Amino acid sequence: MITIYKKKEDIPPNMEYIELNDVFFNQNTVVKLEDQAKKIVKQIDETELIGKYQILSKFSGTILDVDRLSTGCKTVLNVMYFPEKVFCLKECGDNALEVLYGLEQGAVYSDYAMIPFRMGSVRACSEGLISVMEEYEDLKEWWESEK
Amino acid sequence: MKSKPVVMEHFSTIHTSYIVNFIFTNNITILTGESASGKTASFSFMKECMALDRNILCLNYLDYQKDIGEIIRQTKGKLIVIDNADILLDDEVRKYISLDNENQYLIIGRNPGNLFATKENLFELVSEKRGEQTEFQIRPYFT
Repeated sequence: MITIYKKKEDIPPNMEYIELNDVFFNQNTVVKLEDQAKKIVKQIDETELIGKYQILSKFSGTILDVDRLSTGCKTVLNVMYFPEKVFCLKECGDNALEVLYGLEQGAVYSDYAMIPFRMGSVRACSEGLISVMEEYEDLKEWWESEK
Repeated sequence: MKSKPVVMEHFSTIHTSYIVNFIFTNNITILTGESASGKTASFSFMKECMALDRNILCLNYLDYQKDIGEIIRQTKGKLIVIDNADILLDDEVRKYISLDNENQYLIIGRNPGNLFATKENLFELVSEKRGEQTEFQIRPYFT
């Protein structure tokens, strides 16, 4: 399950925080893409990853560079391939959030609630305390509380 | 917040097989919605128009190191289009935007915080195939 931070000061010093998911993906994640990435690209962006560096446009069917994936899809792939880093969650749409919340591991940050309607269990980390949450309302309450 | 667009009520452009056709009903339009709906593609087509149209200013994550607040405060009479707004705009800039009646805004993101937005500011992108072309329009997010 993924770990969520709502305050930057709670991010462990040995975990780098990445805010610009587009840049990180284009420079680092792209070389790691394999079959699991194809499924995620299909789920979120509804398109085909037709090689390590190319996708089909879902609008025109033309071949595009993989840098044209949505920021939400890039965020999910960043989190999946680099579980030792913390990624900004704020640019994920609901379709990306649903996939993100189902990852086996990874870490994200947002100072306001970003929760899909269908969510699995997540670790919510604040002030050194880790709580496992399974319900939308519980997680929303945690996010909106001061602690 | 309901206020009439101060720069333009209609924006349209063509980029190869893509058509952008936006009608603005508010001075601040927040374009939100699912990932991969075409928001950033539309932004790139609008940015191309900056080369010819002095009334448009486009900002995105490539401007991350710049002082966005200062850029906006120095700008008058433009449609300011901001992609990646959730990471570019801090609370102070958002408050300035909410009170700015000299520029018009198209903000692409999901956080309406500090913009004093209501449902009348929130829009989503819709695309429609027209033969070999794809047309992007905006429609209210809450209908």
